[in-house]
Amino acid sequence: MNATPLLNGIPLWAFIVVSSMLFCIGLYGTLARKNTVAILMGLELMLNAVIINLVAFWRFIAPNSSSGLAFAAFIFVVAAAEAAVGLALIINIYRSTQSIDPEKLDQMKL
Amino acid sequence: MTLQLILFFVFSLVVLGAALFVVTSRNLFRSALMLVLSFFGVAGLYVLLDAGLFAVAQILIYIGAISILIIFAVMLTRGMQGMEPRNSQYVGAAVVAALVFAGMLFILGPFRVTFDPQSVPLLNLIFRNATPREVGAVAWPYALEQAGALRVVPETYIADFGRALVDINQYLLPFLLIALMVDVALAGAVHIARQRRPQEMIEDRQELEAEIASEQAAIEALQRSAAPALPDTAVAAGNEH
Repeated sequence: MNATPLLNGIPLWAFIVVSSMLFCIGLYGTLARKNTVAILMGLELMLNAVIINLVAFWRFIAPNSSSGLAFAAFIFVVAAAEAAVGLALIINIYRSTQSIDPEKLDQMKL
Repeated sequence: MTLQLILFFVFSLVVLGAALFVVTSRNLFRSALMLVLSFFGVAGLYVLLDAGLFAVAQILIYIGAISILIIFAVMLTRGMQGMEPRNSQYVGAAVVAALVFAGMLFILGPFRVTFDPQSVPLLNLIFRNATPREVGAVAWPYALEQAGALRVVPETYIADFGRALVDINQYLLPFLLIALMVDVALAGAVHIARQRRPQEMIEDRQELEAEIASEQAAIEALQRSAAPALPDTAVAAGNEH
């Protein structure tokens, strides 16, 4: 802990702890919310936490390579695609059943 | 206590407080607005990490596109506003989230504790000769130039990043695949969310009914033509024996 290099006074573990807290808040939101749109919000928080992690590791460990940035950019794109498809599905489901409670969405159950 | 450290605390508090509001609020519209605030805080963290490009991308993509999509979805599902914010398994969800956080803090956090396997009832049978050791706090391979100092980010990191994305030896294939994926996903989203006009649905239904009727007629005709043939085959089968 003493040998950790600092970035303007901030150690790497500070970023990791903040991002893991954000990830767990998003996990709670994903598991505990009753509204599908809120579940998607929790997913977005989790993806954000992952991107913070990737950028922090890029800055602290390999700032000369572009790998961290490339993977972070891919996650950005995946998040955008996921939000578009998820919200389109939600709007379609709401239109046909007038409800977006995930506990009532059991039409595909055998 | 550098200025950056103070800013880090401020941004972290904004991110985590807004995120907590997002997952607990009863009013879904307010939680969507708080999600925007949380995204802004994350953009601030990117600035502290010397990744200004990602701060801009965060504001453009997350705040400009994803938040707007989410707010649209909230407004299009107005009937769901007064819903209970938690489902029946929220206690379990909180426990799971807390356990995951404890595990991540133990592995990735700054704390190193001395762990003696001999003091744990079952482990001391397996690891008889184990000595106490320090666990936790991964020692990341820092790219050090001298002790305690980090490498500086090259001035041309954005240009390098752009070249890496179109370099056949680096990320050209993933870049093309992800472009294809987002293309297909957006086309699929448009198709799924497309509102079909009532007239169109009536026409579709009539077409379907006509198709079913013609198929039924074909099946009946086939059965009528096949019915006299049945005794013949039976006779033919009988002759063989």
